[in-house]
Amino acid sequence: MKAIVRLALQSAWARKLTLAIALFAIALSSAVLLAVERVRLDARASFAQSISGVDLVVGARTGAVQLMLYAVFHSGAATHNIRWDSFAAIASHPAVDWAVPISLGDGHRGFPVVGTTAGYFEHFRYADGRALAFAAGRPFAKVFEAVLGSEVARSLGYRLDDRITLTHGMAELGPEHADKPFRVVGILAPTGTPVDRSIHVSLEAISAIHLDWAGGAPLPGVSIPAEYVKKFDLKPKEITAALIGLKSRAEVFRMQRFINNYRGEPLLAVMPGVALDELWQTLGIVEQSLFAVSALVVLVGLAGLAATLLAGLNERRRELAILRSLGAGAGDVFLMLLVEGLAVTLLGALIGCALLAAGIALFAPLMQTHFGITLSLRPPAASEWGLFAAILATGLIASLAPGLRAWRMSLADGLTPRN
Amino acid sequence: MPKVLPVLAALTFALPAFAQHKHVHGEGRLDAVLDKDSVTLELELPLDAAVGFERAPRNEKEKAALANAEKTLKDTATLWHFPAAAGCVVQEVAVEMPKFDGGEHADIEARYRFRCSNPTALKEIETTLFKAMPRLYRLEAQRVGPAGQGAQRLTPKAPVLAW
Repeated sequence: MKAIVRLALQSAWARKLTLAIALFAIALSSAVLLAVERVRLDARASFAQSISGVDLVVGARTGAVQLMLYAVFHSGAATHNIRWDSFAAIASHPAVDWAVPISLGDGHRGFPVVGTTAGYFEHFRYADGRALAFAAGRPFAKVFEAVLGSEVARSLGYRLDDRITLTHGMAELGPEHADKPFRVVGILAPTGTPVDRSIHVSLEAISAIHLDWAGGAPLPGVSIPAEYVKKFDLKPKEITAALIGLKSRAEVFRMQRFINNYRGEPLLAVMPGVALDELWQTLGIVEQSLFAVSALVVLVGLAGLAATLLAGLNERRRELAILRSLGAGAGDVFLMLLVEGLAVTLLGALIGCALLAAGIALFAPLMQTHFGITLSLRPPAASEWGLFAAILATGLIASLAPGLRAWRMSLADGLTPRN
Repeated sequence: MPKVLPVLAALTFALPAFAQHKHVHGEGRLDAVLDKDSVTLELELPLDAAVGFERAPRNEKEKAALANAEKTLKDTATLWHFPAAAGCVVQEVAVEMPKFDGGEHADIEARYRFRCSNPTALKEIETTLFKAMPRLYRLEAQRVGPAGQGAQRLTPKAPVLAW
């Protein structure tokens, strides 16, 4: 067996050019298949890790997934705000341990601004219950102070004590709140969640920058300088959403019902884990079709391998006949072809893994900034090993046809090809 | 916290009075909570899925069907299958049959509470509800447990809630 493997590998090396093309196809197709699986796994993990320890997300009545998308991932837009007194009523419910309000709608150079309270830094959890940590500075304490996510600070090159101005709305060139700059007092450590791409300010700050605004534009002729805003009532009247933590998780369904039936205004309470599962249930069909297409690509690659091996057999009649005359059985010839096919598949799949790793190293930052998906360089997960094994098994099956043909030929052929 | 509990209890009993739920024929809802050693299952079934009609019973046969549905739901040992290793014992069963007070739809609500001696072994719960009620084709389940929250769809082919 050892001799056969060596013979097969040396024979393959002698025809390296043609096999290299088959190898290339297999490497690319395995890379695509493994990449689809990796993105699927990591996208799920990133979404699931974005929020933990929050029992309910509360917003105006809309779709559960939509509420999650804007409250947690800051993408999309809220249809309605919720009134501050509704929030206060929920926050003071005896089952509620903590409640953190969130006010969205402003931006800074494409990054969302999150108006909230200092409780956000205390209660927000991601991954397996990890708390937010400050890479530098501290939470905001005064009105015009801001805390940046790590990605905001990194990509815009901000440091502590820098001044930034917010824009109204998320457009990069929206109307600016230029008269009321914010001082950067804190920069958060990276989390791999949407927090990295957010700028956090106090709810009072959101009220303050909109004091002299109406209907989404500055009031003409009215300008309230930053130093005078404290004279105004900055208590927020509305917020976009709220994150709720309960004293006992067993209360979550009751609390959800309480909020959904709240009489003051129509509200929606969403269990984040449930909403994410429902999101994946809807996305399942997209995932499956992507997977099917990439599996087909691998099949095409391996069919190419079978074709290359089959086409090579004619040139190799003499080689195989010599092997036979030296005492190799027909079965040995069959095995040789199988080993060759399997070796090329294995090498291809390995190169595919390397391509995937290179691709992740190259594109992970892009995926992180644009889609909030953290792709990680890590050893393959169980399902990825399964795919790897499936590629090898399919490669083995693809080598059966050339193997059988070589076996038949080497039984029939003499040293002199008849044609 | 202990002082809070009576208030909570009062609140939750007051809630169903004005609760609005979506009502889809053939589709039930299941809310499951695993908190420390206690498991709570709350089941909501459209009456149609249980007995095939959604109004007050008109004859003996329909009355028997209603009684039979109630019996099925109260037969906890047959209805819910826990892993033996978890050592779960039923503590409380409450089945609320619809009162037929004029609404267009009628629901059955059932609530079960179990106590488990070894909750870490509780990885899944199987239900025989689909066998007992062939008109029920789906249970939309929401679960809360030590590993967080999740949603799952139980069907006659997949009647197992996994934690």
